[in-house]
Amino acid sequence: MLSRLVRRVHMYLALFLAPWVVMYALSTLAMNHRGFFQPAQSSDEERFQQDKQQIVPLEIAGEIASADASRAVLDSLGLAGAFSARWQNGLLVIHRNDPLAPRRIRFDPKTRLATVEREALTAPMFLERLHRRRGYQHDYTLEDTWAFSVDLFIAAMLFWAGSGLWMWWEMRTTRRLGLVLAFSTTALFAILLIVL
Amino acid sequence: MTFDYFNRRLHLYLALSLLPWFLVYGLSSIPLSHGAYFNRLYEDGQPMWTLRFERSYNVPVPDDAELKTIGRRIVRDTGLTGAWGAYRQSADELHVFVYRFRHSVRVIYRIPERKLRVEDARFRWDHFFTGMHARGGFDQDSWLDDFWAVVVDLFCVGLMLWVASGLWMWWRARGLRLWGAIALGAGCATFALFLAAL
Repeated sequence: MLSRLVRRVHMYLALFLAPWVVMYALSTLAMNHRGFFQPAQSSDEERFQQDKQQIVPLEIAGEIASADASRAVLDSLGLAGAFSARWQNGLLVIHRNDPLAPRRIRFDPKTRLATVEREALTAPMFLERLHRRRGYQHDYTLEDTWAFSVDLFIAAMLFWAGSGLWMWWEMRTTRRLGLVLAFSTTALFAILLIVL
Repeated sequence: MTFDYFNRRLHLYLALSLLPWFLVYGLSSIPLSHGAYFNRLYEDGQPMWTLRFERSYNVPVPDDAELKTIGRRIVRDTGLTGAWGAYRQSADELHVFVYRFRHSVRVIYRIPERKLRVEDARFRWDHFFTGMHARGGFDQDSWLDDFWAVVVDLFCVGLMLWVASGLWMWWRARGLRLWGAIALGAGCATFALFLAAL
């Protein structure tokens, strides 16, 4: 009964999380071969294309905390979501980390003009950003939900390892070759740990 | 030997072969996802970096300098070994991080003063794991680093093969198709929703 339960949870969890597995595999390949997949740094003009300009009715006194100001600007533009921001030459520069449509917003507090630019997105960039997306540091429930999905994936990885070992040990005929493979690659891993 | 048999054995033996990496990537993702928590664990007054030595050093660093060349020279002249990366911290400062799984070193080159400062990192378990997680790529000079990168590639291929072989095993178990399709469909829909709404 327990064995059956372990097998079922192993499988259904894997089926549910299959898109995450594929995403992490492809993104890791892209990062491992960054030189091949990502061309040399393109210019600012090539990377960003203006989407729109809009007056944002916001009163920002001085260079207040960029996070608070950015949140207000993004809310006004209807672009709420995860971002990183900094003040640069009197402009508030916000990078809105939308996985499919990343944008850069430059807000001038003097004129209250917000310039929204779309960032050209390549498949390796898209995958890498998704791979790096994690943590509960943002103020958005949806971001926390994604972070929870990442935590679920981590828990699933540990469960797959444990349940996989359980299922392997139950199949007597696979024990010998399994032990040889597990020990030899663990030894290789230990050597790499020492020399690298 | 039938294809089903081969597929099952591939799924199993691949997992047993890549188990150390699977565990490392799983465990290291915990501190990566909860960095603030692990940082608090090490807030005990001990410095992150300890000075090993400081000495005069002279290497020209023009504004358009090829950091890789200068970094390689600094690593060679300081006698450090490991994977490294060079970063222009500011107009006056060049940083070179030399990383090994169990120990990291930071070299700070102050350009105006022509001073080289070598600092040892404090050992932290979370950094030990996250360092392994982040290591990869074929941009280092050592063949051992390339070998690690090849294993990272193999791990990625392994992940894809687990998905493919797992899907095949599920599809061949007729009694599990309905609930499996619901789980797979729900996962794909959730993932697509995240992409659209994040």
